Amino acid sequence: MTATWWMLPLALALLSGLLCPLAGTLLLVQGRLFQANLISHAVLPGLAVAVALGLDPGLGGVVSGVAGALLAERFSRPASSGGRGDEAVLNTVLAGFLGLGVLLIPLLRIRVNLEAVLFGDLLAAGAPDLLRTGLALLAVLALLGFRYRQLVFLGVDPLGAASSGLAVGRLRLLLTFVTALTVVSAMTAVGVVLVIALMGAPALLALEGAISLRQALLRAALIGALLAGCGFVLAIQPAINLPPGPLIGVLSLLLLPLVLHRRGSAR
Amino acid sequence: MALEARHLSVRRGEGLALEDISFCLEPGTLIALVGPNGAGKSTLLQAIEGQIPLLSGELLLDGAVLTPRLARRQLALMPQRGEIAWHFPISVRELVGLGRLMAARPGCCAVEAALQRVGIDALASRRLDQLSGGQQQRALLARLLVQPASVLLLDEPCAAIDPPSRTQLLQVMGQLRDAGFTLLVSSHDWGHDLDAYDRVLVIDRKLLADGPPASVRHSLGDLRLGNHCCG
Repeated sequence: MTATWWMLPLALALLSGLLCPLAGTLLLVQGRLFQANLISHAVLPGLAVAVALGLDPGLGGVVSGVAGALLAERFSRPASSGGRGDEAVLNTVLAGFLGLGVLLIPLLRIRVNLEAVLFGDLLAAGAPDLLRTGLALLAVLALLGFRYRQLVFLGVDPLGAASSGLAVGRLRLLLTFVTALTVVSAMTAVGVVLVIALMGAPALLALEGAISLRQALLRAALIGALLAGCGFVLAIQPAINLPPGPLIGVLSLLLLPLVLHRRGSAR
Repeated sequence: MALEARHLSVRRGEGLALEDISFCLEPGTLIALVGPNGAGKSTLLQAIEGQIPLLSGELLLDGAVLTPRLARRQLALMPQRGEIAWHFPISVRELVGLGRLMAARPGCCAVEAALQRVGIDALASRRLDQLSGGQQQRALLARLLVQPASVLLLDEPCAAIDPPSRTQLLQVMGQLRDAGFTLLVSSHDWGHDLDAYDRVLVIDRKLLADGPPASVRHSLGDLRLGNHCCG
């Protein structure tokens, strides 16, 4: 093992730390963070099928994640008839897709390291993982670059945005697609389950007192990169020597008291 | 611009939310739309703006059929408070600027002028959730002013705000009326604030009354409409 073996995993941790909170903040302000949770579980069947077909697992994961999100959307009640979604539908789709993914592994006679998929294996990161995460980051930045004000409008006044002619459905689909890309690309770093922490916790802290979505996004990305970077560096210390993904998940818990503190000082 | 509704009916679920509603709103008038909960006030505003399809009847703007495209250019709807994500990280200035996002052409006011017009230009840099309820409503009103619309539809702008803020908001609406805007404002209020309006439309699925505040109040006195209202 070379003396610089840690550079690629660290770069991936930092990139995931930047990426996940950006997507998480966008979802949180739209009241749709549940979608990240749903997609993170719904990627498994597509991932299994892609492995069986010899394709990039990420590709299958994105297709399957978006399909799960669309299915849940199809069966949820519209926001106008009460609530921003139907938790029972979401949880049913989430469990159904996760179960399907687990069943497909023996049925398709493939070998998938489920533990690595669910909780990450940062130390095994390769250049393709870095490339995938970089592309996902580019997709999020492109969405922000071309649709920032539309996303703000949709977040602050969904009905007004729709009535003014904004293509709300298309914008939400784009957000769903970018979320699926984010979840799949973070698989190696923190796993599809722990990605939720990296998407939610920095966003929660960043939104406190932010004067604009732009400021919140910037803050969230910095907090996320710090969290993921620190988590990785701590994890590889000989005295600690723990898997980085779960450690990053645990560290994100530390952000919650900070959120409370900021809320308290804002009053 | 004159807005005319002819025999409007709108379906909601199994029944009719609005039935055979007709009226004509002249330019430069401030009109209250009152009625009990569930009377169809919001439905009527949304139907006029094109969010809800008509079952029958038609809408005309200066004699021309109001198409969705024309509605987006000439009408602007201020939603009820409950529809807005007040904790969204956005400054007052940025919120008002959103009014221009989908507009095909600029409205009468630039963002700063619109803020000045509703009297909250000093609060432009504040985050939206740091404003009082009345100031928030004025910020939403300013957002309408940067749109090219000449007919403003306001869905319960005075709900859940304190009496001084309500008075201020009514004054701003009066100034907009004087500037030539047509304002149709839904309200639960059946009290003295109604006198600030030029005309009152009372609906409860159907149009019950239409006229100046005093005569409408008098003619509908027997219906004890106030008992149904929250205001």
